This record gives sequence, structure tokens and C-alpha cells, in this order.
Amino acid sequence: MPAITLVKKITADGLPCRKCAEVEARLRERGLWARIDRVVIADERDPDSEGMRLGAVYGVERAPFFIVHGDGGQEIVYTMFLKFLKEVLQANPSEAEEAKALLENNPDLYV
Amino acid sequence: MSVTAFDISRLAREYETKSPQEILALALSAFDGVAISFSGAEDVVLLDMATKIRTDVRVFSLDTGRLHAETYRYLERLREHYGLALEILFPEPGAVEQLVREKGLFSFYRDGHQECCAIRKVAPLRRKLATLEAWITGQRKDQSPGTRNRIAVVERDSAFSTEEHTLIKFNPLANWTSEQVWRYIRDNEVPYNELHERGFVSIGCEPCTRAVLPNQHEREGRWWWEDVTDKECGLHAANVAIAARR
Repeated sequence: MPAITLVKKITADGLPCRKCAEVEARLRERGLWARIDRVVIADERDPDSEGMRLGAVYGVERAPFFIVHGDGGQEIVYTMFLKFLKEVLQANPSEAEEAKALLENNPDLYV
Repeated sequence: MSVTAFDISRLAREYETKSPQEILALALSAFDGVAISFSGAEDVVLLDMATKIRTDVRVFSLDTGRLHAETYRYLERLREHYGLALEILFPEPGAVEQLVREKGLFSFYRDGHQECCAIRKVAPLRRKLATLEAWITGQRKDQSPGTRNRIAVVERDSAFSTEEHTLIKFNPLANWTSEQVWRYIRDNEVPYNELHERGFVSIGCEPCTRAVLPNQHEREGRWWWEDVTDKECGLHAANVAIAARR
């Protein structure tokens, strides 16, 4: 089973970013939190924090994101939560979750 | 016409400079499974134009449960005015109940509008679009110069198409300005939402829509509290660049 790293962001006020908190809550609700092997913090107050460095290394500009470390040493980065949910955790998102992802990926949908 | 036989690129080029009525005529003649999505605002011009092309045009609208009373009255007025079998789409009750139970009735002011919009608008819209070959929207380039300035008059809907289902999207008003829309409404005595008389331009749900001042852009009347939260999850580029150099 691949090892999974979650990179989540801490904002200037010391709190997790809204999206990161939401993703964590959704994983816990589904009983999938235990599948996350490691949580790394990208601290907005510390540009040298490990999460910020990982963002730079993988060219990721938004948190949260997941790094999936395969048995053969390969790494896959997931920036889209639902894709990660389906492909890595083999969980089916709800209609509302899919709709929200659609909106987040297409912010100027006809709404 | 089948979706696969519909030559999107050629028609997008050919119709780019044509009138909204010509684009509507193409949409309504090319597909049986085509419908107009009506937002309850100035896109009413599409209804007026379309019903002059054919009387059995299909129109749907999303009732989020949070619209202004004026918009509900307006939808009913249009149903009578045009003799429309206006189809009203509703969100899935269980999803709305869960959202309200867990987060209350105004979670969007705190958490952003996406979750509420996803449940009340996008999910029912997605269900409806899965049954269609094509849809017609009132999107215009001038509504949001940053994100809508590349709207084509006809395109493959990249958001709602899936591997199994290609959806065509017609935007007959893409090249029209707000001024042209309102000239049409006045010249043709088209019924309009009374909220427009009170400074509302872009009209959505009541808690998420406000009137704008003269010369304010219409999008400033929607989700105006979100500037900060939109950027909250960004791993700020400047910081990342500094970290990478160390």
C-alpha cells in the first residue's frame, strides 16, 4: 500500500486554511484519516517550513495537496481532493462533493 | 443532428460574428435535446428571441430555495407571458438538509459560497445537463472580463462534458454588451425582473446578491465578501520562491 503525505497550510493567524480543515474533516468523517501516513505543514509565517519547500519542489501553488509514495519509489502529487479520493483511497464522492469540485475547478461556471 | 456530427470548431468560427438570433436558430434547429438555462435576470432576451423562432422551446431555471421573492414572481410572469412550460429544478433535499443542519443557513459568509452553490445549483444543473445534448446560456464576455473574455458563441462544454457524454454549449449573447441587451429589452418591451429597477444587475440568490452603484462592475454585486478567502489556500509564490533558493 502506498504511503501518503498530506501537505496542509497554516495561515498567518496560526490556524489551518479553510480548505485544509475541510479536507481533513471529510477524511475523518469517512474513516479514512488513518490512511494518511504523514502530515506536513506549509506555514505561511515560515517560508522555510517543510510544506512550503515541498510546494516549491513539486510546483504546487495551493494547499492542501497529497504526495503518494509508491512501492517502487515513484511519487504522484494530487492537488485535486476528489481525484485523490477516487484513485488512491477508492472512495466514491457524493453528488455534492463532485458538484463542489466542479465549481472549484471552474470558478466561473454559469451560476 | 448528433453531437458527434456537429462541427464545433467550424461553426464557432462561422457564427462568431453572427447575431444572437442566428446562433439561437442554429442551436434550436441542430438539436432536439437542447434547452435554455434561464437565470431570472437579463438573459430573458434569449427567451424572447427563442420563442420568436419556435414556440416549443425548452427552458429550465434553478430554484435554489434562496431566490428573491421578486425573482419567483418574475418567473411566474414569464411563464404566462410566453406560454412557457418553464421547468424548475430543485436541489436534492437531503443534501440541503445536511448542509443546514451542520452549518446553518448562512455558512457561505464564513466558508465561501462554493459548498452551498454546489448543492443548490451545480448538482441539479449537472443532473439536468446529463439529459441534454446541448444547452443555451446567457453568458457574455463583458460580464467578467477576466474570466469570460474567451467565451465562444458555440463550444464543447468542458465543465459538464464527460468521457461518455459530450455536451455542446451555445452562448448567443457572448459578444453582446449589457447596453445592447438593455436596448433589446426596451425596444421589444420584454418583461424584466423588478430588481433591476433597484440597482441589481447580476441576480442570483438573495443573500449573495446586492445592488451595485453606478459604474461598479456587475460582478461586484455577487459574493463581495470573498476576496480574502479566495486567496487563503495559496502557497504564496514569493514565499515559495524564497524557500526554494535557500
